[in-house]
Amino acid sequence: MAKKKTAPAVAGENAIELQETAGLSQNQIVFRRFLRHRAAMISVIGLLFIVLFVFSAAGLRFGSERNAATTPGWWPYSITDIADMSSENCAEGLVGCPTLDVLPAFIDGTGMGLGKHPFGQDDIGRDYFALVMRGAEQSIQIMLIIGSIGALLGTVIGAISGFFRGWIDAVLMRLTDFIITVPTLIIGAVIGHRVGNLGVTLLGVFLGLFAWTGLSRLVRGEFLSLREREFVDAARVAGASNRRIIFKHILPNAVGVIIVSVTLLMSGAILLETGLSYLGFGVVSPDVSLGSLISQYQTSFSVRPWLFWWPGFLIVAIALCINFIGDGLRDAFDPRQKRRITKRDLVKADKASKDA
Amino acid sequence: MLFVILLGSSFLIYNLAAIASDPLEELRVSSDPKVKQQILVLIRDLQLNVPPPLRYFNWLKGVLGGFVGDFNLGLTRSHESVADAIGHAIPISIRLVLGATILAIVLGITVGIVTALRQYSKFDYAMTFLSFLFFSLPIFWVAVLLKEYLAIGFNDFLADPVLSWPWLLGLSVFAGVFWSSVLGGSRSQVFLKFGIAFSANALVLFLLSETHWFAQPALGPLVVFAMSLGVAFVVTHLSVGLSNRKVLYGSLSVSVLGFALYLPVQQLFTKQFSDLTLWGLFAASLLVGITAGYFSTKIDRGAAIRTTSLVALLTFGIIYVDRLMRTWKSYSETDAINYRPVPTVGEANSLLEPGNYWFTTLDSALHLFLPTVALTIISFAGYVRFSRGSLLEVLNQDYIRTARAKGLTERTVIMRHAFRNALIPLTTIIAADFAGVIGGAIITERVFGWVGMGTLFNKAIGGQDLNLLMGVFFVTSSLAVLANLVADLLYSALDPRIRIGK
Amino acid sequence: MKATRIARAIAVAAVGALTVTGVSTLVVNPADAAVRSTVVVVSSNAMTSLNPGTPDTNLTINADIAYVTGMGFNYYNDQRNLVQNKVLGSYKIVKNTASDFRVAYTLNAGKVWSDGTPITGVDLLLSHVLSSGAYSKAAGLGDPSNTEVAPLFNSGGYGGPYDSHVVGLPTLSADKMTVTVRYDAFQPDWQIMGPGVAPVHALELMAAGKKTLQSVSANNTAKAKFLTDFKTKNSASLKKIANIWSNDYNIATISSSTNPLLLVSNGAYIVKSAVSGQSTTLVLNPKYNSGPKTSGLKTIVFKYIDDPTAAAQALKNGEINVFQGQADASSVAQLKAMSGVTVAGGTSACFEHVDLRQGAGPGTSDDYTGPFAASNNATKNAKARALRTAFLLAYPRQEILDKLVKPINSKAVLVNSSFLLPGQTGYNTIVAKSGVSKFTAGTQAARTAAALELVKNYYPSASASNQVVDIDMLWGSRANTRRAAEFELVVAAEAKAGFNVTDTMYGADGWGGELDNNDYDAAFFAWCPTAVSQTGSNANFQSDGSNNHIGFASDSVDNATHTLETKLSDAQITAQYLIVEKKLISDAVTLPIFQHPAVTGYTSALKGVKPAPLSPNLVWNFWQWHF
Repeated sequence: MAKKKTAPAVAGENAIELQETAGLSQNQIVFRRFLRHRAAMISVIGLLFIVLFVFSAAGLRFGSERNAATTPGWWPYSITDIADMSSENCAEGLVGCPTLDVLPAFIDGTGMGLGKHPFGQDDIGRDYFALVMRGAEQSIQIMLIIGSIGALLGTVIGAISGFFRGWIDAVLMRLTDFIITVPTLIIGAVIGHRVGNLGVTLLGVFLGLFAWTGLSRLVRGEFLSLREREFVDAARVAGASNRRIIFKHILPNAVGVIIVSVTLLMSGAILLETGLSYLGFGVVSPDVSLGSLISQYQTSFSVRPWLFWWPGFLIVAIALCINFIGDGLRDAFDPRQKRRITKRDLVKADKASKDA
Repeated sequence: MLFVILLGSSFLIYNLAAIASDPLEELRVSSDPKVKQQILVLIRDLQLNVPPPLRYFNWLKGVLGGFVGDFNLGLTRSHESVADAIGHAIPISIRLVLGATILAIVLGITVGIVTALRQYSKFDYAMTFLSFLFFSLPIFWVAVLLKEYLAIGFNDFLADPVLSWPWLLGLSVFAGVFWSSVLGGSRSQVFLKFGIAFSANALVLFLLSETHWFAQPALGPLVVFAMSLGVAFVVTHLSVGLSNRKVLYGSLSVSVLGFALYLPVQQLFTKQFSDLTLWGLFAASLLVGITAGYFSTKIDRGAAIRTTSLVALLTFGIIYVDRLMRTWKSYSETDAINYRPVPTVGEANSLLEPGNYWFTTLDSALHLFLPTVALTIISFAGYVRFSRGSLLEVLNQDYIRTARAKGLTERTVIMRHAFRNALIPLTTIIAADFAGVIGGAIITERVFGWVGMGTLFNKAIGGQDLNLLMGVFFVTSSLAVLANLVADLLYSALDPRIRIGK
Repeated sequence: MKATRIARAIAVAAVGALTVTGVSTLVVNPADAAVRSTVVVVSSNAMTSLNPGTPDTNLTINADIAYVTGMGFNYYNDQRNLVQNKVLGSYKIVKNTASDFRVAYTLNAGKVWSDGTPITGVDLLLSHVLSSGAYSKAAGLGDPSNTEVAPLFNSGGYGGPYDSHVVGLPTLSADKMTVTVRYDAFQPDWQIMGPGVAPVHALELMAAGKKTLQSVSANNTAKAKFLTDFKTKNSASLKKIANIWSNDYNIATISSSTNPLLLVSNGAYIVKSAVSGQSTTLVLNPKYNSGPKTSGLKTIVFKYIDDPTAAAQALKNGEINVFQGQADASSVAQLKAMSGVTVAGGTSACFEHVDLRQGAGPGTSDDYTGPFAASNNATKNAKARALRTAFLLAYPRQEILDKLVKPINSKAVLVNSSFLLPGQTGYNTIVAKSGVSKFTAGTQAARTAAALELVKNYYPSASASNQVVDIDMLWGSRANTRRAAEFELVVAAEAKAGFNVTDTMYGADGWGGELDNNDYDAAFFAWCPTAVSQTGSNANFQSDGSNNHIGFASDSVDNATHTLETKLSDAQITAQYLIVEKKLISDAVTLPIFQHPAVTGYTSALKGVKPAPLSPNLVWNFWQWHF
């Protein structure tokens, strides 16, 4: 059903493609392509905004909740400040409602403003904005840690075992099998039990150590297939070392799959942490994460929805951004991927060739 | 080798779990006068005075007993046989995830292909956005929403099954947007398609709603026939192309035969209908399909037979579903259902009297409905992304260019050359997913009240029940390892270029 | 191409439109639920056994099902009162001297099991086998205190006061309707120690390999055989019965092919079917005459749903009728917002309390040297007591109640006695006289200020912004969100009185495993009494009490608790309680906080649901349930 292209159009496309990439290094080409991916760019900006907002609001911290080195954030409340329950803005029978008012005065007559607790208060009167910010900070940390450990281990192990095959492959794949058989929940439970309040960093590291298996199998599959391709033979005949073949020839071809998988892994990491929290094995008090907040307040869904929606909204926003960035990266890295040629481009190219 | 892996990881898990649990915790704060005896009993029964690494070998002895016909996974803390508990749970888990996984694969791959073919179209963006959005939703959240609207809301609606205007228009607008963006085209075409889909839907919904169809759904012979004809056209179009008139006539004759047999087949659909009869009828339809395919053409009989068989199977499927739908009303009227047919928890209604095949089948189908939707929504994203990426990659290969250059139709290029090769990398994911999902639907099972492997696992961890935990672990990890093995074999079988050994 | 596409779109629409043709117009009238006679109750576990009497099967759900299918001499009602079931029979003290205490249990004539067999005193004798370690040993059924091998009757009844105080075998009267149990001294909890009926004829028949219900005469013969076996301690016979009692009742799947002898019971309902891991269905027992008349419900189903949100939504969808669960504020509000659903608040048996360590825990030989350590040195002792008092003064009990409990149970009040709960006889007297008013008078701000003054006496630099006394606190699992919130409140509140409260990592054994150690200075958790007993709290405060984790020792308290083990009038009991409570307050040992809230949601059409705090909680009055 794809459009049938006429010969001149194809020639025009090629010309545009060539013109686009003339005189640029591979990295520059990738970067340019990425910049042009609108959804990915919006997501990069969105994610950067979320990260900066969250981290500056809550302040940076290292270590567990009570023994942490912290830098102050701009939000006045911390998650250990307990205030009285306020019934400001509340319907009958509720307390701790959000005071955030985004409707300007000419609509509801009260004017815009943050109020004292823009996101409301939790059950014991802590500022929910502070909790959500801290939670997002922790969740992003977990996501990054799991993502990077998982991506690194998965790619390296998958690449080595797919490229070298034989006994190396056998050993590494058995290692992978071994890890696959260990349920993440048990790891979560054990960590939750033994090192539960050493903070999210350790939780992330441990989960990361068990999260790379899917990726490594995928990468291995790609390598098994790519290493038989003509361009690899060509490189080998030309005398390229194994390292060069792996990193310069095969990896760029596999990078699309890797990136899709890593982004799924990262957004999966947030959900994994949410799931662990739901079952009581994730981040535990006094630390909070988006997952622990959303699972703690899942019953609030119909009565105090703000306790549920804010962390839920952030989880979805972060996961969406990550996935779109991955999508953009995948397209940018794909060496055969062509840019979508618009009519305007064709006209421009046509004009350019006529001018020339 | 697999054996050594399982041995190693089971040892690790056993000890980790033993370290992380304290079966005596509850008793320590108990004010029961018999607490001392209770602690003694627990230590005795669970052999808590034996260090975990040694206790592991007791457990292992039971497992290894399997080689001499004395397989023993021990007892749970409530003195059930672990093997029995798992035996009950596995079929339930499979039932829960099988449909959802297949549905997610089919839908995911379909959408993946369409988005790859229409890369960077609005439909592509919309689907990308939707699949990522679904992927980002925690399942317990999805479950709460689905139950609220698809079950409770729909049941409430059934009390007076007339669609309100906003709903009717909203659904029609949605359908219009959906179809126009799937079919694509120039701007005026999009508007036209939107208009057609919108009004067709509005009309249909209006009629369905006015006739209270939702409370007593049925297709009837005419609609069954029409749908079957539609199936014949679509399947033929996708497999050999509508230009192949002989196969098309073969498919259409299968549809006509299905229509002719509609009434006679109803005689078989009695209360005592059984799964065996069902499979028999499926086999019969397959036979009809094969025969029709065989005689329809002499050129490329294989493809013709595949086409007509699929049409025959789907036609029978429609007839079967029609019968199930006509059970709906009497099913809703039973005491056990009490006019609220869509359930939110459990895998069967325990109040329903057994003995009526259609009731029990509809009952389990309805109980499967919400979890299947939830699981499908969640796992759909992965398949969309992977199949889209994979197909895009394949479409840029030289052999596709060659195929196009040969002058093959777009349909042949995509269905025969691109699609098949794009599926190869997906095998790995599918195999791993399936194994993972059997052991891993913990949260899904919990929120939908299904007692499968996930529930056992969760109970084992929560109740600090080491034997049960190890039993579940033993099964799921064996499955995971096996699935990976199968994926490996499939992978090298499907892609002849791949050599795993040196 | 264009034409094809449009044609296809039309086809799609046409197919949709055709769907309508198979439909005839018919209006459905949803029936009103008035005639329903089935109740579906959510359970937090699935049934694992018909016999909740073994240590492995004493799950709430098993006990609930056993309660509904079997009537005994008494039960707890929703007011924590023990009610005698006079329909089945009666019991009374027939002798009470220093070394001879006897209780006689008499069954009413004409009561029958579900298979028609008359219930007699012989049916009461199995209880002795299940509770007396001496009998078990003498009959060659194994020693329950053996740490290697379980006794043949794997009963959870051994090791209690019955086991240690019963004398000889229970005696059967000539008409076989009365059984008299003799103890070596007065038993304060004699009412809840007594025997229950068991279908011994069914056990004998199953031991003989029978798989079907037998005639009444065969049943009576079997019953007679049991009497002989019991009296003669017939080891061979009893072993067979033991095997059936300990193992054969442990079934999770019940269908028409299940041995009907396993289902013989004397309750209003009998088990009809059960799906392993999912649900158990009970139906009316047509021969039932052992207890109050039922209101006519034909079927009760216990359905296992683990997730409270799922249960709440199932209730909304009409799939279940009664749901009792650990609830948080939101789920209560959610239940209340549902139409057609009634929410019954209330309390569970548990109450939260804070304990301060005085001395070494029983699990360690090291001395406790923390800030709260009691000492023989008067100055040190006074300082520790002052700090403990300050800690309790600053403890945010009201705030905890207001923020964490009241949203769930709006009628919740602070608990101010360690022995009695609000509403029980004597509670008001104790609260008025025990001196607990020290911790309730004035505002929390005033009490905190007083606490800070006390701390300043010893640490002048202490202030709300300078915490000088480090307190290590032990509490429940961090996954428990209410406890975690509670702890956060405590940390914030105690900081204002100069206390720096932290919680150390608990070790391999979980928090419960740390209870007996010296590693913490304060702890909060819950006591969950399973019965109302005048001696029930003794183990918490006696210097050698099994639940005295904090190293509290006081001669006056020990004397009082020993007195409580004798027969006393209500006034005398209260007097003894007061002695202990006064000491607990003046020494700042412990403070109760709140009763755990319980929430029950049920279909409004269902009447008669009155959740009770003590087991069997929700189902205690199932016979009053009706639509």
